[in-house]
Amino acid sequence: MTSERDNRSHGTSNGSTSTGRRVSRRAYIAGAGAAGVAALAGCSGGDGGDGGDGGDGGSMGGGGTTTINIITWEEYAEMQENIESTLDGVELNITPSTSSTEMFSQWSAGQDEQFDIAVPNNNLVPRFMDADLVAPVNNDVVNNFGSMYDRFQSFVDDQFTESGNAYGVPIRFGWYGYSYDSRSVPDHEPSYDILFEPDYVDADLDGEIIMYDEAAKSIPAAALYLGMDDAMSGARMTFTEEQLTEIQELLIEQKPRLQGYIAPDPTFIQEFRQGNFLVGHSGRNETVQMRSEGDDWVEFVAPREGALAWYETAVVSAASDNQETAWEVINEFITPQNGAALAEAGFSPSTNPNVADELTEEQNELYGRIDPSRLEGMYSLKDIDSDVEEAYVSAWEEVKAA
Amino acid sequence: MAADEPDESARARAVRLLSGPRSRLGVTVGPSAAWILTLLVAPLAFMVAVSFFEVSSLTYQIVYEPTLNNYRSLFDGGGAIWNTPFVTALWLSYVIATVTTLLCLTLAFPLAYLLARSGGRLFKVVIFFVLLPFFTMYLVRAYSWVLMFGPGGVINSTLMSWGLIDAPLGIFNYGVPAIIVGLTHAYFPYMLLTLYASLDGLDFSILEAARDLGASRVEVLRDHVIPLTLPGIIGGSLFVFVPSVGAFITPTFLGQGKVQMIGMLIESRVAGTYSIGYASAASMFVLVSIVGAMILAFRYVSIEELGGA
Repeated sequence: MTSERDNRSHGTSNGSTSTGRRVSRRAYIAGAGAAGVAALAGCSGGDGGDGGDGGDGGSMGGGGTTTINIITWEEYAEMQENIESTLDGVELNITPSTSSTEMFSQWSAGQDEQFDIAVPNNNLVPRFMDADLVAPVNNDVVNNFGSMYDRFQSFVDDQFTESGNAYGVPIRFGWYGYSYDSRSVPDHEPSYDILFEPDYVDADLDGEIIMYDEAAKSIPAAALYLGMDDAMSGARMTFTEEQLTEIQELLIEQKPRLQGYIAPDPTFIQEFRQGNFLVGHSGRNETVQMRSEGDDWVEFVAPREGALAWYETAVVSAASDNQETAWEVINEFITPQNGAALAEAGFSPSTNPNVADELTEEQNELYGRIDPSRLEGMYSLKDIDSDVEEAYVSAWEEVKAA
Repeated sequence: MAADEPDESARARAVRLLSGPRSRLGVTVGPSAAWILTLLVAPLAFMVAVSFFEVSSLTYQIVYEPTLNNYRSLFDGGGAIWNTPFVTALWLSYVIATVTTLLCLTLAFPLAYLLARSGGRLFKVVIFFVLLPFFTMYLVRAYSWVLMFGPGGVINSTLMSWGLIDAPLGIFNYGVPAIIVGLTHAYFPYMLLTLYASLDGLDFSILEAARDLGASRVEVLRDHVIPLTLPGIIGGSLFVFVPSVGAFITPTFLGQGKVQMIGMLIESRVAGTYSIGYASAASMFVLVSIVGAMILAFRYVSIEELGGA
């Protein structure tokens, strides 16, 4: 049996024989070379464009289209279609990433010229600023900035404003507290005590607790439990050697009571459902996802000592030639319509409270409308001060090795 | 036909050019040498170089000023050197890899012996079942063990539903035992196939002769089987031990973050703080110790014998 493909190739062969035309080897090589040069020219042609907005980062394609290159979390693709239809002549090229550190290391290694926008977590933004990688916010373009929760506007002032210029726009947020299985753990006043004190609730939690497998989340939780609020108050988190030793000892002492440390959300959810633990230091969106999928036995609480808030922050490359267009795109990230699409995709609220108008009542309860008073007692997640970074990393490694 | 003459002369020229000893060497060894140089030697050389430089915590860029700080920081810590996270993780990795290797050897040897004695259809059937899970990707196989272990995992749940236990058993929890089970499962076929290749070349009439002359089964095993299959044992052990020392996925899934092997420590340094200098220095220790193990192995067998020949 001869396939269609075989027939076609036979036909071609026969055709060339029947015309009697023969291509010499030299002509064939010359033709192939010309085709190769043309292809290479086509590949490199995208960089230049015909002036205007095109540049190294974004580029002008045919017909005056500006491509904005973005490195961000994969859920941001949910907004792509709407943004492209809203902003005339703008095309988004989204590269998914799973780590803010990765975004920073790529930009500092020279890829700030290939990307116009990155959306790292807020704790990494000061690093981008210190490395002169980002441009100040264009307030004339980002007119949704004023619609954000006041708390996030103040976070921007505290964490990444220099000489009156802000360097990032918070897009969506969440916070870390802990969740518990309400079928086995009785109601109680929310506190980190449950993670560190054996008799805090009337339930045997030995071997039933999960902590975050990340220094940046577990160490601040221990610090807040120990009352080290001051360490969390500056632009960066900082500790004395004595404080780090105290935190390390607390976490080592806690370790025998732990089921383990978990980092990825899906693993947390799968093991929580499997019944491997009863209390888990976690982000709110894991719990929201579980509840929205029918696990109404999961409760999430923000401890009285303070929850840790994270917020993804869009920054624009200082090397981008499309800065204005990039800020237009970022402004779109926090419109009610796009913010709602993003919130739905990631179970995390937008920093623009008006997003609630685009969501159902049930969605609003889970991740749409957040009472601003809930945000007041929160500490924003911060990068560690470089002076104590080595001791901080070492303290965490000793906990893990214990 | 006249048009073909220049082609033939070009071909003849090419054949003449390539028939020289250097050209022949270049054509045969060249591509693989280039492959090894660019994808193995160059990255390794880069890793060695990076281990002697620091990385700026501000920009994450390499600062090209030679330093031994990365090596020094491996042994920094609150207490004694053997209590530092690096030494603890390295030691734990060796222990886990050694136990995994011994377990693979113990489980694979009788099966390989049986296969070598039986041969034919039995070999095909057993090998098919041993290799069957390996048609799925490693990540999926490692993840499947996650569902088996844990207080609410399949093993504990099944035992409880059968009424054999009242509460979950700690031995089926995540941790070192679960990691060893996962690694043994992952690397068992390497040991089995290497041992089989070695045992298949064994002249079993020697063993029968030894038995006829009064040797016990243990003596036959000790004095004949093991010495004659030593290359296979060492080869299989290397194939299991080396990847087990640097294992990352299995301990990440089955250690539940409470166990820190060397691969995980290195990864956490790179992912957390981009300390590629520290990570390179730590990798150098692993590399040197594994090369040491291989040199030791080559004292007893040649590289040709490792595959069981």
